[in-house]
Amino acid sequence: MVNEKLKILIVDDSDLERELLMEVLRGTGIKNDFLEARTGEEAIEVLGSRYKEIGLILLDWQMPKMSGMEFMTAVVKVPQVAGKPIIMVTASGTEENKKKAATTNPNLAGYIVKPYTPESLVSAIKKYV
Amino acid sequence: MGKQNPELEQFANLLVQGVKGLFKERGEISFSKEPVLKRQQITEYEGRMRVDGMIKFDNEPTYVAAVNYYASAVEMQKKKALGTLVVYVQQEYVPKLIRSLQYPAIDDEDEKAMLDSIGTLGNIIAGRFKSEVSAAGYIELEMSAFNTFRNSAPTGIEFCFSEYELFEAAFDLEGKKRLVIDLSMGVVPKRR
Repeated sequence: MVNEKLKILIVDDSDLERELLMEVLRGTGIKNDFLEARTGEEAIEVLGSRYKEIGLILLDWQMPKMSGMEFMTAVVKVPQVAGKPIIMVTASGTEENKKKAATTNPNLAGYIVKPYTPESLVSAIKKYV
Repeated sequence: MGKQNPELEQFANLLVQGVKGLFKERGEISFSKEPVLKRQQITEYEGRMRVDGMIKFDNEPTYVAAVNYYASAVEMQKKKALGTLVVYVQQEYVPKLIRSLQYPAIDDEDEKAMLDSIGTLGNIIAGRFKSEVSAAGYIELEMSAFNTFRNSAPTGIEFCFSEYELFEAAFDLEGKKRLVIDLSMGVVPKRR
């Protein structure tokens, strides 16, 4: 369970998707603050400098420069952050993609397909917030 | 010019199936009639596909999102596109369409927000189509991030060089053509 003082890092190149995630989570009473990144590269920077503040990462797959999968591949190699729970929130909902994500990160905390319902989002993250 | 994918129409039907499913699940508005599919020639300019949104809606301002598909991550790195999906929505209808899919309201005078919105729509439509292709037994496609434009893509977009035709799918909402999607797709192998 993530302490309310820990932040949720949202990584998505769509401003609207980030806004929707925050709106839905706040609407369900989640009080954690949010950090935002538009690409995997930005997320690496945020995670590198503020990893102690972050309790959960919500990660898109298709992003410019560095994709969510490339981000996750990098993160799992760094012991200080490898254990951070990551939930993929992506438009790619195929079983192959789910398997690929789980293989890349054996500790993957969840996989949500856009467009999602608030209930499915809350169900996926409830044990982390 | 190469050999046109003989299965293009099947892919267009998978696209229509995916978009209908998406709007059925999420849309607060439904299509006024069955989508209209039309085979068209690809207009190529300096090795890229020309994209002109305004001709889709009688010269009205239009927002455009493009997503590419690739046969593998390696092909994606090489920018060797296998498929191209382009989503067009008339400017005045973008906020309503986005709201109908249960996204937050957007400011229709904020161009950055409008581009972001059409990109978001392009992403979920492209993701849904990718799932339909996979479910139909084809190999798993890699999908790009979205690129967005207002009215047209000045330098065109990537496409599969073997193709010279695309399918245009036009969707009516509230009695008028509101959403148009162009799909070009090279030959996609079946999964073994």
